[in-house]
Amino acid sequence: MTESTSTTHSTDTILSLKDIQKTFGGIHALSGVSFDLREGEVHALVGENGAGKSTLIKTITGAYVPDGGSITVGGGEYEMLTPNQARQLGIGVVYQEFNLLPDMPVAENIFLTTPPMGRWGLIDTKKRAQQAYKLLERLGAHKHINPYALVKDLTVGEQQIVEIAKALAMDAHILIMDEPSAVLPSRDMDRLYKVVRALRDEGHGIIYISHRLNEIFELADRVTVLKDGQTVATKLVAKTDEDDLVRMMVGRELTDMYPPVSTIEPGEVLLDVRDLCIENTVFDINFQVRAGEVVGLAGLGGSGRTTIARALVGLADIISGEIAYFGQPARMTAASAARAGVVLIPEDRKAFGLILDQSNRFNITLPNLPQLERWKMILKRDEWDPVIRAIDDLGVRPPNPELDSGSLSGGNQQKVVLAKWIMARPKVIIFDEPTRGIDVGAKSEIYTRMREISQQGVGIIMASSDLPEVLGMSDRILVLHEGRMAGELSREEASEEAIMKLAAVAHENGASA
Amino acid sequence: MAMTYEDTQKSAVPRWQRGVTFARNNAAILLIYLFIFLLIGTGSFFSDRFLTASNLINIMRQSIVLGLLAIGQTAVLLTGGMDISQEMVARLVGLIVATLFAATGSNPMMILPLLLLGTTIGVALGLVNGLLITRTHAVPFIITFGVSFLLRGINLAISTTPIRGIPDAYLTIYDSKIGIVPVNVIVMALVWLIAWFFTTRSRLGRNIYAVGGSERIAKLSAIRVNRTLVWAYVLSSVFAALAGLFLLARTGVGDPNAAQGMTFQAIVAAAVGGISLYGGRGSIFGTLGGVLLLTLLSNFFNLMQINIFYQQLLLGAIVLVAVSAYKSKDLGAL
Repeated sequence: MTESTSTTHSTDTILSLKDIQKTFGGIHALSGVSFDLREGEVHALVGENGAGKSTLIKTITGAYVPDGGSITVGGGEYEMLTPNQARQLGIGVVYQEFNLLPDMPVAENIFLTTPPMGRWGLIDTKKRAQQAYKLLERLGAHKHINPYALVKDLTVGEQQIVEIAKALAMDAHILIMDEPSAVLPSRDMDRLYKVVRALRDEGHGIIYISHRLNEIFELADRVTVLKDGQTVATKLVAKTDEDDLVRMMVGRELTDMYPPVSTIEPGEVLLDVRDLCIENTVFDINFQVRAGEVVGLAGLGGSGRTTIARALVGLADIISGEIAYFGQPARMTAASAARAGVVLIPEDRKAFGLILDQSNRFNITLPNLPQLERWKMILKRDEWDPVIRAIDDLGVRPPNPELDSGSLSGGNQQKVVLAKWIMARPKVIIFDEPTRGIDVGAKSEIYTRMREISQQGVGIIMASSDLPEVLGMSDRILVLHEGRMAGELSREEASEEAIMKLAAVAHENGASA
Repeated sequence: MAMTYEDTQKSAVPRWQRGVTFARNNAAILLIYLFIFLLIGTGSFFSDRFLTASNLINIMRQSIVLGLLAIGQTAVLLTGGMDISQEMVARLVGLIVATLFAATGSNPMMILPLLLLGTTIGVALGLVNGLLITRTHAVPFIITFGVSFLLRGINLAISTTPIRGIPDAYLTIYDSKIGIVPVNVIVMALVWLIAWFFTTRSRLGRNIYAVGGSERIAKLSAIRVNRTLVWAYVLSSVFAALAGLFLLARTGVGDPNAAQGMTFQAIVAAAVGGISLYGGRGSIFGTLGGVLLLTLLSNFFNLMQINIFYQQLLLGAIVLVAVSAYKSKDLGAL
């Protein structure tokens, strides 16, 4: 068997990126990122959402072709890598969402692409199980995970270890872990750390992406901070602290993209959330939303923002706690929420917002048919008038009611979703990432509209990972940390730094409101 | 300035652009009617008996059973489901009504009550399908397949030989004419119109499309998804029952082999007409096209006296060509 190749004659830098550039339709996702990874180190990669972490990772794994810069790995210099090349050069990734087949045994999953072959071109299943066992042993998990167990019977933490073993089975020497702790319950965290340290001690280079600053201090040797597609700094973890990192991650000018602040006093309580718990993700959440205010819901990936947003319209399995609409305990199903006037404008428009292969007209009137009906019929004129007005009003381009919604750009699709729900005259609107993937022009139109609606007495909750947006739009901000409320900030108290501190740093450092 | 309906009809979207949108949205339908025209052209070229008024009227009358089934099936297909039990429902209704006619001594006074009873049986069986599907969340194909076997058993228990004793008055459903046009052809044309209106301009019709497009989005849009699904299966069964009642008038006996193989023909007609088997997409006019195409084909084959084996072969080829043309889901992407 191949022994570890830990002592080669080369320098101990095993991966080096120089001045990597990548643009998407004129937007710079990466503008000159440099990064290097040494043998036997855990190198943390941090940055806000949209800082360019995932783009950088995808460049390394060959999913994206960079527009400029070079990648030095395995003794060669490349302008780009293909996914196959990356794999052969020993680059392995453990994504947040596992690529495992739940109904197959552990060993089969680990050696899915590279099964040990026996006689007559058949897979040597015995050898496969033995090798799987050895891999698990290296990760210190052979006592918990049986190579013959089905993946679906494992815990999330165990599945993650199988995923790591799978990367190792492909001889990965450079291991990229994309927010590995985000999916884990805290009791499994120590085991993950042990596995990561064991791999480091074997001489692997590990790129560790995390939002949780405390675990960087626990685990990493060096840390690189990205902001707006650029490297801010690479530092030894021993020579930095949390405040330092937060300062490097944030700090951006607020633009005049945002409409003026609210001029009305918040009215009656529209939505009252008490002790909300959702399995494994959200714990003891309490808050209220009043008429006419915009409440920002901030927090890092995995903090429970989206889960809470969905729970409010009956799209999550609530374990305990209560949600009241207008003082009445709500029957939490998606249909009853919409009927009560509590609606979600989702991040994932395809799954929750629009039926993409139906026309704009169909989508806009879908929840509004009862009010358009006359003699049990929806007459063409009764339907077209309001649709045309809504499309005109929100500036949907092209302004064609009969066009499939799927053929519009993201920003225009979002306007169609907005048109659909504005027509329904809801009392509460929950926005989840209202402007992700939307161009700047459409963004500011959506903000203007959002403020307009709130001025009319609608209560708005805006869950967002975009800090400038949270600061620019919210009348007050609730900050989440690992599914718990970390604090509340008024508009006056709020700053990127204040939010990041609550969101990224463990509780004892966070102030309570 | 807020625009009104008239304004947009005039100006907001240029006429040519509206034309393009229309063509894209309806590419499947345009294609199938093109096919039909080609077929009629070919038919009249090969046989001078094909393009005659009496033959065309005949074709329309031949298309009624398939049309009824296909309209019902379309409602279900649009939700993303499938109703395999249609032909057994049609057969059961025919057998029960025939049995009761026979038992009451072919009394013409029984016609109206028995028509009502047959329709009610359709409603009831549709409820069974719909409730089983919404309660168990099993695949509609399997549920309706199971129900269809159940009904087959009941049908066999009722009779394995044709049941006689249908009153002559009942046969007028099939026979009566205004001039040379059978009344049932006129009624069927109206049924198609109503079906079109229902699918595009009624709330239930819209909800059926929405549920087929995305159950979750439908729910989030305050649509009662289960109720919509049950309605779709009720419609499918009621139309199957109507087909059964019509067949009874056509054959004049309660036929234990009635509607043999018609469920699949109905599904094929809808699919060829561009109704997406994934649900949520397609037009009832497409279904009409599919029904006419299949009926024309079999009429043409019979006139040409083409061997039944080749008929099947050609039919299969046409289905495959048509459906793989739509495979790219939206022909609109052309």
